[in-house]
Amino acid sequence: MSVDESAGQGGHVTQGDVEAHSEAPVHGRMPGFIAWVTNRLGMEELMEDQYNRIVPIHATNYIYCFGGIAFILFLILAVTGILLVVYYQPTPDAAYQSVVNISTNVSFGWWVRSIHKWAATGMVVLVFVHMLRVFFTTAYKRPRELNWISGVVLLVVTMAFGFTGYLLPWDQKAYWATRVGTDIAGSTPLIGHFLLVSLRGGENITGATLGRFFTLHVLVLPAIIIVFLGAHFWMIRRHGISGRL
Amino acid sequence: MTRGGFLKWLIGVLTAVAVGGIVYPIVRFLKPPPASTATIGQVANIGPASSFPAGQLTPATVNGRPVIVTNVAGKIVVYSAICTHLGCVVSPSGNTLHCPCHGSEYSAAGTVIHGPATLPLPFYGAKVSGGAVLVGPVTFTRASYPTWYKGQFA
Repeated sequence: MSVDESAGQGGHVTQGDVEAHSEAPVHGRMPGFIAWVTNRLGMEELMEDQYNRIVPIHATNYIYCFGGIAFILFLILAVTGILLVVYYQPTPDAAYQSVVNISTNVSFGWWVRSIHKWAATGMVVLVFVHMLRVFFTTAYKRPRELNWISGVVLLVVTMAFGFTGYLLPWDQKAYWATRVGTDIAGSTPLIGHFLLVSLRGGENITGATLGRFFTLHVLVLPAIIIVFLGAHFWMIRRHGISGRL
Repeated sequence: MTRGGFLKWLIGVLTAVAVGGIVYPIVRFLKPPPASTATIGQVANIGPASSFPAGQLTPATVNGRPVIVTNVAGKIVVYSAICTHLGCVVSPSGNTLHCPCHGSEYSAAGTVIHGPATLPLPFYGAKVSGGAVLVGPVTFTRASYPTWYKGQFA
């Protein structure tokens, strides 16, 4: 970025600065109001960097898209999840009926719920395929070790999303899947019983289990995934796309 | 119109369609649905009680909608003849009700004997007043009746 293009670097910015530099690569593409906002937020350098970034030709292969598709699915899941929680009731008495209500009574409820279900299934698949791509192109090597580690955390969090979300409809399949899943956690040496009762909120699967899984699904896991996605993407920007095989 | 102007216009229209296709369902989704259990419709006179002999399933119409009238030991019971699967009209076949579309079968009490229907036929309120049978409205006792089905009785 040349000195001429760096409007507002000194901190004293006026509308005139933005207009005077309307020929600069970033400003030139933006209408007045958007330029005004990006200038106030100091986003020009970020955008300059984004626009001038060159994608290496080997990384235009479709196998480099899996992580991005998984992220798009995550965004879809966030939006549809927020919509579903408007009608969902996480209590043992009301949970199943509220899901039936979403699917049969609420306008486009079947649509929102189906998208949430299929995007969730797709995200698990895409995250896994993305991991395979990174593994087989050896993209985890120095200096990208932490990106691999944060990716493993994201894989586990995605699985945890799937496991906790599966219980929420509170039907027979949900109940028994959770029974089996938490039993597996319970078979861990030494801390198994602690894990089991922590997950279930008691010895058995009850309304306490539903409450815990709901909290994990809509509060805890989203917070974790946002932090790790941020780290994951920041490191991609820092290190760039890995080299060709 | 220039080619560039047309392309800009086209991109604008396509973007509006794409955004509208997402925003419209979301707005509709957020609008609260009607109550899940409901009583719908008006009272109608379907004729003298003597025209519904005991132990028989008799088709009739209430406000233009098909119903089945039964006489269980002198007590008149009326339920809808609209199949809860996909809305075809069921007809009496011996002691049961048969749906011609996909073969659902209901008992004389309106409960499902075998599918594809999963929900019982909803009951109409019915009473005999001055020798005439007064029928309606319909009561949906379960939340799981779909909106399109309840819409047939509005």
